[in-house]
Amino acid sequence: MNKAGKAIGHFLILLTYFQLHTSQAAEFSAHGILDVRISQVDSLEQSYLASGQGKFALGDGLQLSVAQAGADLSITWDNGLSAHGVVNAYLKGTGDGEDSALGFTEAYFKYRTLPTASGYRFQTRAGIFYPEISLENDAYAWASKDTLNSSSLNTWIGEEVRVLGTEVKVTRLGRLNNDDYDLSLSATAFINNDPTGALLAWHGWTTSSRQTLWAEKRPFPWFPALGEGQTLAGQARESDPFLEIDHRAGYHVRGEWLLHGKGEFSAGYYNNRATPYKVVDGQYGWHTRFYHLGARWRFSKNITLVAQYLSGDTLMQSHLREDVVNNDYANAFVALTYKWQTLPWSEKSANKKHKSTIRLEDFSVTDNDDTWGDNNNEDGQALTLSHSYRMSKHWFLSAEFNLTDSHRPARGYTGKPIDLIEKQWQVAARYFF
Amino acid sequence: MIIYMGISLNNKIITFSLLLLSMVIMPRAYSESGCNDGSINNTCVQVFVKSKAGQALVDMVVYLEPLNGQVLEQSSQEVIVGQFDKSFTPYISVSQSKSTVNFVNKDDITHHIYSAGSDNKFSFKIRAGETNTSTQFNHASEVAMGCNIHDWMSGYLLVVDTPYFGKTNEKGQVSFDVSKQGKYNIVVWHPQMQAKNNRMSIEKNIVAPSAFTLTLPEDISDTPVQKSDDDFDFLSDY
Repeated sequence: MNKAGKAIGHFLILLTYFQLHTSQAAEFSAHGILDVRISQVDSLEQSYLASGQGKFALGDGLQLSVAQAGADLSITWDNGLSAHGVVNAYLKGTGDGEDSALGFTEAYFKYRTLPTASGYRFQTRAGIFYPEISLENDAYAWASKDTLNSSSLNTWIGEEVRVLGTEVKVTRLGRLNNDDYDLSLSATAFINNDPTGALLAWHGWTTSSRQTLWAEKRPFPWFPALGEGQTLAGQARESDPFLEIDHRAGYHVRGEWLLHGKGEFSAGYYNNRATPYKVVDGQYGWHTRFYHLGARWRFSKNITLVAQYLSGDTLMQSHLREDVVNNDYANAFVALTYKWQTLPWSEKSANKKHKSTIRLEDFSVTDNDDTWGDNNNEDGQALTLSHSYRMSKHWFLSAEFNLTDSHRPARGYTGKPIDLIEKQWQVAARYFF
Repeated sequence: MIIYMGISLNNKIITFSLLLLSMVIMPRAYSESGCNDGSINNTCVQVFVKSKAGQALVDMVVYLEPLNGQVLEQSSQEVIVGQFDKSFTPYISVSQSKSTVNFVNKDDITHHIYSAGSDNKFSFKIRAGETNTSTQFNHASEVAMGCNIHDWMSGYLLVVDTPYFGKTNEKGQVSFDVSKQGKYNIVVWHPQMQAKNNRMSIEKNIVAPSAFTLTLPEDISDTPVQKSDDDFDFLSDY
């Protein structure tokens, strides 16, 4: 059993122990999502999930897949403590994609106090969790609410940014201060996120609903610097993003301003403080830092805007402390969601059963090092058009079109076009519970 | 009256006599005043609440505070503070101190109701469909309530030391059958009223049926919208 497996094991033992030795009434809940899709992909033969260069979850062709089967399990005690475990499974599609996978994506304890008379509330989380960054993946099991594919920004968060740590959050509730806004500040100290940045460097920005499971290794495309005698010959062929390599804690801080009934603005900074020249079993420390901005705004009861921006850098060095990978990266998206109150072709009220989303993305990676055979430059844009219909309380039918247009010299290493337009049509039945 | 009439359908004589009786009482019982007790000993007091611009204000709490040491009975009215559609329904409740306050969760999810004020601090979790009467309100106070799971929920319970309390209707009117004549403080309260302690009052000697109008000097501010920014039903609380 590896370290991560042990951590989850300890969590479960602790949970059992706590449940057996407490007289507090506990409430169990199980929520989740099942997402079954038919996808028509016009990209490359192999997707990034199957060590290829394709930017979607699946490679070329018409395919049936279970894009997510997730369960969000929790136990809540009356004293404000709760325990959460999120399990996600991805079943092998009908094409040549990646194999099936099942595992934990999050496992943590949360404790929330009641607000004080002056409206201050403290909350802490401890365990394995996502730093609060994504404004898209707020459905159960970190599913994306308004689109089938997360933006490339949040697909990366789901792939490489996860921590084992402790978060402390202070919220000032406006309700108790006669203000129409809430303010939150949070700080997290964490470990086990040292190789973050490797996958972004080696397959660039991608878009899917795939999250990396805790302790899961992920492949990346071949490039010449991995060859024998080359700079990166010592790099393992799969990256293990949730490792602790140098025993130095990283941190994440975030602030949020939430205007009641209107929207929210947030800003944060992540720094894993990894030692860039440390390597364990072919997994390097990548010193990865970025700041992120987020906004959600309700223009009316019909129209909501969500926008995020992320910009940062990552550094990985040889044991001689020479830069091997030194990248800057940036990503931004704007998404507008329209909830249909009435339908143009029908007299009847749509009762908000239909919603449409348009999302525009712009992303880049800038390679600042001189390592031969490892060009990480990338520049691209993406467009998503999505429509979702709520058939019943639990069932949602969605249709989505994704397009990415990117310039990526590294695709040339495997004989793929450096400038590439990829398209994908998806129809999904999603069951939320 | 109506109930008795229903029960005695098989007995025409009783029905007829009750009908006669009700005809005598009815005009008084359902008069414009809103007072519903025909007892000769009670004094009907109507209170109208108006805005600065003269418009009738609905859902304003009005209560009569005895000032001559009148000993008033304990109201038998039980209050229901509902949680429905992830909001406090109604937004404002009023209760006499020592009366039972029923918190009723009409949603299919758990709420965590609390009051953070030092005066009336309490909290409890209330599961779907449950009723909770565990909290005692033994003295007059203004209780601001929230839900620690759904931050946008906001409700008020005003606890008063009198059985004469109510909320204005669409006409801005509320009526009381006052059993003990004497001097009263007529108080109007609303959590968003721009005034000291969110209330205004006038002292009146109540000796005969009468109507009073209170006009607020300032507009009340907007009541909070008890709605999540996101109405998606399957949100995880990250």
